[in-house]
Amino acid sequence: MSAPLLEVTDLRKSYGAIRAVAGVSFEVRPGEIFGVIGPNGSGKTTMFNSVLGQIAPDAGAIRLKGADITGLSPLALNRRGVGRTFQTLQVFGRMSVRDNLLVAAQEHRGSMFSRMFAAPDSGLGARADALIDLFRIGHVADKPAGSLSYGQQKLVDIAMAFMSEPDLVLLDEPCAGVNPSLVGEIAALLRELNRSRGGSFVVIEHNMDFVMGLCHRVMVMVEGEVLAIGTPDAIRADRRVLDAYLGN
Amino acid sequence: MTDLLQLTFSGIATGSIYALAALGFTLLWQASGTINFAQGEFVMLPAFAMLFFAAQGAPLPVAFVLTIAVAVAVLGWAFKRGVVDPLFRHGMMAIVVATIGLSIAMRNGVRIYSADAHPFPSLFADKLLRVGGVTVSLADAGTLAFALVLVVATQAFLARTLTGRAMQAVAQNTESAAVLGINVPLMILYTFAINAVLACAAALLVTPVYFGKFDMGESLGTKAFFAAVIGGFNNSRGALLGGVIVGIGENLAAAYISPAYKDAVALALFMVVILFKPQGLLGRKEERKV
Repeated sequence: MSAPLLEVTDLRKSYGAIRAVAGVSFEVRPGEIFGVIGPNGSGKTTMFNSVLGQIAPDAGAIRLKGADITGLSPLALNRRGVGRTFQTLQVFGRMSVRDNLLVAAQEHRGSMFSRMFAAPDSGLGARADALIDLFRIGHVADKPAGSLSYGQQKLVDIAMAFMSEPDLVLLDEPCAGVNPSLVGEIAALLRELNRSRGGSFVVIEHNMDFVMGLCHRVMVMVEGEVLAIGTPDAIRADRRVLDAYLGN
Repeated sequence: MTDLLQLTFSGIATGSIYALAALGFTLLWQASGTINFAQGEFVMLPAFAMLFFAAQGAPLPVAFVLTIAVAVAVLGWAFKRGVVDPLFRHGMMAIVVATIGLSIAMRNGVRIYSADAHPFPSLFADKLLRVGGVTVSLADAGTLAFALVLVVATQAFLARTLTGRAMQAVAQNTESAAVLGINVPLMILYTFAINAVLACAAALLVTPVYFGKFDMGESLGTKAFFAAVIGGFNNSRGALLGGVIVGIGENLAAAYISPAYKDAVALALFMVVILFKPQGLLGRKEERKV
């Protein structure tokens, strides 16, 4: 088996007496789509934000390709090949769709001084166009992102996370607020990106059909702890998971 | 009619200086959520720095460049690190109070150095030009051209370079920008540096008219603030429009109503805009979580 891309070991985060994340451990393998599910308040987003450097964990270790990345800032993580999307839309509303994609990768180009004078597409145009084609948003590519429908903005948001060609993308509820037909489209896009680019994803999502149909393995969190990790079929068959969602 | 055109042109030239200072207001607000009420003193201090360098024998252009270097360090980097960064987590009000205090300290600090009004050389010769039957001074035309070049250059930098676009991204969504690998603190520092450069340019243009004096920034800062609000605090082009409107309004009021009411024009326009279009003429409505 190949070495893990991401290893999270005994991650802990508390807010006063509340243990939001209580000793979570898991690993994500190269090329894997790893789902994270759990009832509201189970600590998924706190775990996510701790991995992504937006919250400092109280304890635990996070390793990316074997290197310790615990506590690194989102900026440092991005430069090491970690991308993310947010639960809420994070597009730059007054920039065009194409500019949103360009800005999502441009900080990886050139030096601090060369960026001051370089043209804004800086050789990234072809990469942006490829993603625009893949996400089928060419007809709105020159429109301000803020003027698009919620679903279209969601697609732009997800496409932006892939512009810097990251090794690992963490997607926080990519289907939140989108219509059922778009849910299928997002799943197909992520499958295609996983297949063609070998991308590894960690996906937090409440839509069970989406998670079970897309992910290679799924982790279930309850009250800050890992309840189960396994294939979608194994998770579906796990009585403890059903109890956690529906109550005993 | 000729008088009206001359007054309007002269007003546009004066307004373009207000626009430079107002542009600083809008840039700082958009990139860092900061309102700098010492903006007028940020113009006054470079004026004295240029006078200092000129007194050491430096020609005006050299004094200007040296002043920019000092201003970027002091009014850009040191201001951000020493005043804005420590107070940022305490909210906008703390920064507002601190910058008001800073403006008083800067004014009175310079007053200790010198309370006199110091003549300042103009970049432009004392000549009159005839343009289509209208007489305009070379100083007005030059001021307008210089300010326009700076405003256009600033806009081009923001819109047409990698760094400029990263600065725009930070202004629109700081959290997302950081996750995308943009160095947010560095982009904000650039904004403060640009503000310092614009303040130096405003000092270069305005000081020949008002002389270098410790309180020269008081009225300029207030009018630039009003201009930024009138044009739209979250729109850089709004700063230009607001500055020009205030400049023209002042000139026309002084000529057709009374010079005594000249300084009230910016306040009156500010009040009308706040009442009927609080986001400013070119500004957008913003929603903020409280």
